[in-house]
Amino acid sequence: MDLFLEGITRFINGTGLAKIFTATADTPLAFAGVDFGTILMLVISCLLIYLAIGKEFEPLLLLPIAFGMLLANLPLSNLLHNVLFVGTGEEEHFVMDFGKILHEGGLLDLLYLGVKLGIYPSLIFLGIGAMTDFSPLIANPKSLLLGAAAQLGVFVAFYGALLIGFDILPAMSIGIIGGADGPTAILVTKTLAPKLLPAIAIAAYSYMALIPIIQPPIMKALTTKKERLVKMKQLRSVSKLERLIFPIIVTIVVALIVPDAVPLVGCLMLGNLIKESGVAERLSKTIQNELMNIVTIFLGVTVGATASADTFLRLETLGIVLLGLIAFSISTAGGLLFGKLMYVLTKGKVNPLIGSAGVSAVPMAARVSQMVGSKEDPTNFLLMHAMGPNVAGVIGSAVAAGVFLTMAKVLF
Amino acid sequence: MPEKFIQGGVVVVIGLLTVFVVLAILWGVLELMRVIFTAKSKKPAAPAAPAPAPAPVAPAPASAEDDSELIAVLTAAIAASLNQTTTYNLKIKSYRRVDAGIPVWNRTARRDNLIG
Repeated sequence: MDLFLEGITRFINGTGLAKIFTATADTPLAFAGVDFGTILMLVISCLLIYLAIGKEFEPLLLLPIAFGMLLANLPLSNLLHNVLFVGTGEEEHFVMDFGKILHEGGLLDLLYLGVKLGIYPSLIFLGIGAMTDFSPLIANPKSLLLGAAAQLGVFVAFYGALLIGFDILPAMSIGIIGGADGPTAILVTKTLAPKLLPAIAIAAYSYMALIPIIQPPIMKALTTKKERLVKMKQLRSVSKLERLIFPIIVTIVVALIVPDAVPLVGCLMLGNLIKESGVAERLSKTIQNELMNIVTIFLGVTVGATASADTFLRLETLGIVLLGLIAFSISTAGGLLFGKLMYVLTKGKVNPLIGSAGVSAVPMAARVSQMVGSKEDPTNFLLMHAMGPNVAGVIGSAVAAGVFLTMAKVLF
Repeated sequence: MPEKFIQGGVVVVIGLLTVFVVLAILWGVLELMRVIFTAKSKKPAAPAAPAPAPAPVAPAPASAEDDSELIAVLTAAIAASLNQTTTYNLKIKSYRRVDAGIPVWNRTARRDNLIG
């Protein structure tokens, strides 16, 4: 009989409920023997699942991320071993032990290697490349400068993060949120500040989803009605040869100046070349659909799973979310102001509204330009003109990421 | 001033410069490409690519006046209705104003076609 009772006791002690109610001092928000941190994380992940399904906020990504969070925070499930990837924090110099990961790791540990080694962000860029049409940019190359101007927020937020006490490397990761580009943010963060990965990934993707809410007020505040009413000349048609040469030239130019941006830009342009070539329809379809979807699932679940209570429930996370918003707003403003400059220089031929599309969230940012423009004048179609800066922004934020990665190597 | 703020300043300056320089170089290359290609394509008239025509457009009497603006609007509208963000594979060959006097059933069918 004793043996029987002991068996039951052991089983009960081994359940997740027991874990929640026997919190130790080192679990965050542990209070009166209850681990509120874990409970709070479970509530947050359910809230995110609701936002993904109920409100359709970037559901393709948010849903896997939110469920990954749920999985990671179920007590004792031990699906993702953060210790294997970032160490316990006590080591002087932590080196990842791949043998150990392969031997001891579970499903999510192995999938997480794709994030850790920078494979998923590059594959996602391959997919974005295959879905992107660069002809608005080729037809109106000036918009490249708008894509550059909209990276302003990246650097302002970087310096802002330094000022409020972050170190250089984490500050770089926070700044890159201003590029409004999830994969780029993940690539930079996994290299420079792996512990901040969940917070930064979630911030970056939330702001991408919130573009239609964040951008319009800034756009209206910074432009005059006259500027918003500008109708732009129809873009010239771009020949197939130009569309084929473009990805090759971009890859070469970027590789020569910022080699660290090549994993992203190279994949982006490879995907685009495969699509534009027209001779590899099957590959192009696979990249755009199946490959992209598979990678999105893996990326979402594993990034979500890194958000355990002890890495996510920190004051830092709030700082990151706030700085991310600032970064994003300043990037929008940077693009708009440069758009205004172009409006003046071209004597009113450029509608400054397309400047805000310089942030790289494709094609949401361009749609917002279209939306704000057509509110002033329903016959004004800015979408195509805004796609130019929009795809330029993708290249711009990849270059900004490359600069950060290079500088991190040079400085440290 | 602690070291990290100076290093940070260096990163900001180099970063902004690099982003602008790289994209400005690409701008230059693209302008060059445009000069080369538009000079070439001026001689042979580009053959019109066959385009998917989602709207039931019938051949229309060609008007002599300049309708490039209207064509632009129509192209963009078709692109929007197809939920795509590009117009290079669309080419409006003709358009015609729908007669207001047509039977309501015809109009409904036409609208259904557009919505798909």
